[in-house]
Amino acid sequence: MTDEIANFIPSLLASPSLLYNVIGLVIYAVVVAIIFSLFSYVMGWLERKIIAKAQYRHGPTYVGKWGIFQNLADLVKLLSKEEIELDNADRLLFMAGIPLLVAAAIFTIFLLPLSPTMQATNLSFGILLVFVIIAFTPILLFIAAFSSGNKFADISAQRSVLILFSYEIPMILVIAAIALLAKGYNIQDIVGAQSPYYFAVLMPLGLVIMFIGMLAELERHPFDLREADSELIAGWLTDVSAPYYALALFLDYARVFMGSVLMAILFFGGWLGPPMIPLPGLFWLILKAFLIGIFIIFIRATAFRMRIDRVLRFGWSWLVPLSIINLIITYIIFVR
Amino acid sequence: MKVEREKFSETVDKMRKEGFDYLVKITAVDYGDHLEAVYMLRSIAGNKDETLEVQMPEDDAWMPTIIHLYKAADWYEREMHEMFGISIKGRRMDRLLLEKWDGIDPPFRKTFVWDTPYRTDEGKK
Amino acid sequence: MTITRINIGPVHPSTHGVLRLVVDIEGDTIVKVEPHIGYLHRGVEKLAETRMYMQIPPYTEKLDYVAPMSYDDAYVAAVEAALGVDVKERAQYVRVILLELQRIASHLFGIGAMCNDMGQMFTVFMWGFKDRDIVLKLLEDATGSRMFYVNMRLGGLVRDLPPGFEDEALEKLDYIDRRIKEYESYLEKNSIFMERTKGIGVLDTEAAINLGITGPPLRASGVDYDVRKNNPYYVYEKLHFSPMVLYSSDNFARYKIKIMEIKESIRLVREAFRLMPEGDALGMPVKLRSPDTKNRIVRVSRELPRGECVMYMVGDQQKPYRLSIRSPNFINLAALDEMSRGGRIADLFATMGSLDLVMGCVDR
Repeated sequence: MTDEIANFIPSLLASPSLLYNVIGLVIYAVVVAIIFSLFSYVMGWLERKIIAKAQYRHGPTYVGKWGIFQNLADLVKLLSKEEIELDNADRLLFMAGIPLLVAAAIFTIFLLPLSPTMQATNLSFGILLVFVIIAFTPILLFIAAFSSGNKFADISAQRSVLILFSYEIPMILVIAAIALLAKGYNIQDIVGAQSPYYFAVLMPLGLVIMFIGMLAELERHPFDLREADSELIAGWLTDVSAPYYALALFLDYARVFMGSVLMAILFFGGWLGPPMIPLPGLFWLILKAFLIGIFIIFIRATAFRMRIDRVLRFGWSWLVPLSIINLIITYIIFVR
Repeated sequence: MKVEREKFSETVDKMRKEGFDYLVKITAVDYGDHLEAVYMLRSIAGNKDETLEVQMPEDDAWMPTIIHLYKAADWYEREMHEMFGISIKGRRMDRLLLEKWDGIDPPFRKTFVWDTPYRTDEGKK
Repeated sequence: MTITRINIGPVHPSTHGVLRLVVDIEGDTIVKVEPHIGYLHRGVEKLAETRMYMQIPPYTEKLDYVAPMSYDDAYVAAVEAALGVDVKERAQYVRVILLELQRIASHLFGIGAMCNDMGQMFTVFMWGFKDRDIVLKLLEDATGSRMFYVNMRLGGLVRDLPPGFEDEALEKLDYIDRRIKEYESYLEKNSIFMERTKGIGVLDTEAAINLGITGPPLRASGVDYDVRKNNPYYVYEKLHFSPMVLYSSDNFARYKIKIMEIKESIRLVREAFRLMPEGDALGMPVKLRSPDTKNRIVRVSRELPRGECVMYMVGDQQKPYRLSIRSPNFINLAALDEMSRGGRIADLFATMGSLDLVMGCVDR
């Protein structure tokens, strides 16, 4: 029964009729959207709770059991607030910026398969396409920030572009090492190559580089220079008013979901679980992504913000050489 | 220690050379018939404090600057200028420090009228 | 490169109140910082001229709302000097205990706020607040209110320490002592913290003296000056107090000196409890008619948590003719330009946090 349901969407997608393909894609999109919204919501709540625990607070307690509906209440509040029209802003670009960013983030999520059968497409260069779209993010972000006409947003966008461009290179080099191990850029192949050993075991250096790079990509602490609330007020979101701000928060969690699922797929065997426990692959993937997300929250609760020049120096003088070394070691040990 | 205004600059100069390297505070007192500027100097190494009191008439209130000797004098002199209307000779003051409006009665003088209605932005400039 | 002028504040997450900074930056490097102050100027000095002597402490307390007890003491000490009142011996010890407790609370807040300014996600800030609250609870037990105490009277205090206060205080101080070690191990083993404080915002000894900065920043710049030692008041002489001095003059020294002063304060409180005599600590009633103090000039120095406060008071009949307050934060803020010039924009906030500013005290 579960197999039938699991194979329903792929069978639609594989059918020769275009109509069925479209229907399959729409159903898939709805399913993924539900999974990913639930994940982001629980993640947002956990983030508040965990950070509160680290600070001897209680976090939200009032709305619902353990304050589980607090984020929903905040969302309703944000959506009901006034939208401020800015004099200095380029109206069209400013309004388009954040929705475009969200669209890019969601696009990457749909490119990632969630189980051997649950996926929208199966491209031979799947992981590369994901990183190409991630590389688009700084440009869109720069547009969104620059068009608001605020100097804080301006500085924040410049920082963001610098970070994203300099951390892209070590990440791509790690991807190259993974491709050496998996003999291809197909995501199904990458996960398939991780039994019996996860790439985290085979390539611990690559894991560290990729995790740091991913933190920088997602701009979580200690790389949260984009939003640096004690310096730049809210960075690129300084002039963003309520509904767009809600969208920007959504974007943040979308990117966390994307990042942790990507980490789970690349290094922790994706949907592969212990074979003696018969649970669907999706469960294992979400579990792993969840644990990675919680780890990111732990870092957020403790880390200090790095300075931009130091972030760049660290990226170029440590991560890039290390990722090259990682590539060479991987080649020598596993390929030759 | 009472000092005359004409001799003030050289006195401070001399004290700076004697080791009074720390400016504690510049303030002023309005005694009704005359103003008195108070300079508190300190020698950190010698652990000595000295107070210089300079008297001046109300309608001819000015003091020479000592900012070239003590950078700390910068904000104190500006505060004294704003609050007591004592103009500081020998330095520039680009903007007001604590007050928002230029040219109102110096508020810390005794002649300042208490029950002035609240000023708005359209008030005196 | 072109110079950009950005305006930070008066409404900004890390300006500690209402401070406005106009910052000229060239790329990421600071060319000039111009603090605009006066948003909290309440004219306390002028207001004091219209009140009776003992009606003023509630106003002076609100200058520094993080360490009100210290201002309370500084003002009352000025009045005592003007009227020639001696403080009772037990009251001196009690005052020292309360002032040092206030210093601990204030420094805990300062460390937390500095970490917050450096982009820590409020964790140390909240720790500081929690531990500060424990000290505030002690002060509440001793004085009856949690934040604004108005606890000093001429020659003594409103009330003596409650019974059982000593045991409770010593127990709480042991806890604070342990927490301080935790702070140290957390912060000083954190490479990002060290990197963002070591060698940032340097102000060498000569410049520190010339700029007239005071308190922990002055001692962090290698100047061995503490009013408690150099011009001792109350029983600090008997308590074997030695000022904390560091020589690296950077943000780390300004943070570290606060940690060291907390430890020293804990030690002082313990010693004061040991030496404190029995007896009476109550001060004179508020409505006392004082002798004529016309044209009597007094000058009293006190070491507040943030630096030296000088009360210059010209007496009048029953009230001050002129009260001039040297606020430590005012002159420390004036040195911000010198400290942060040539640094990065992100370090401006770390430097500002290390100065531990309270805007109510800057503007008066």
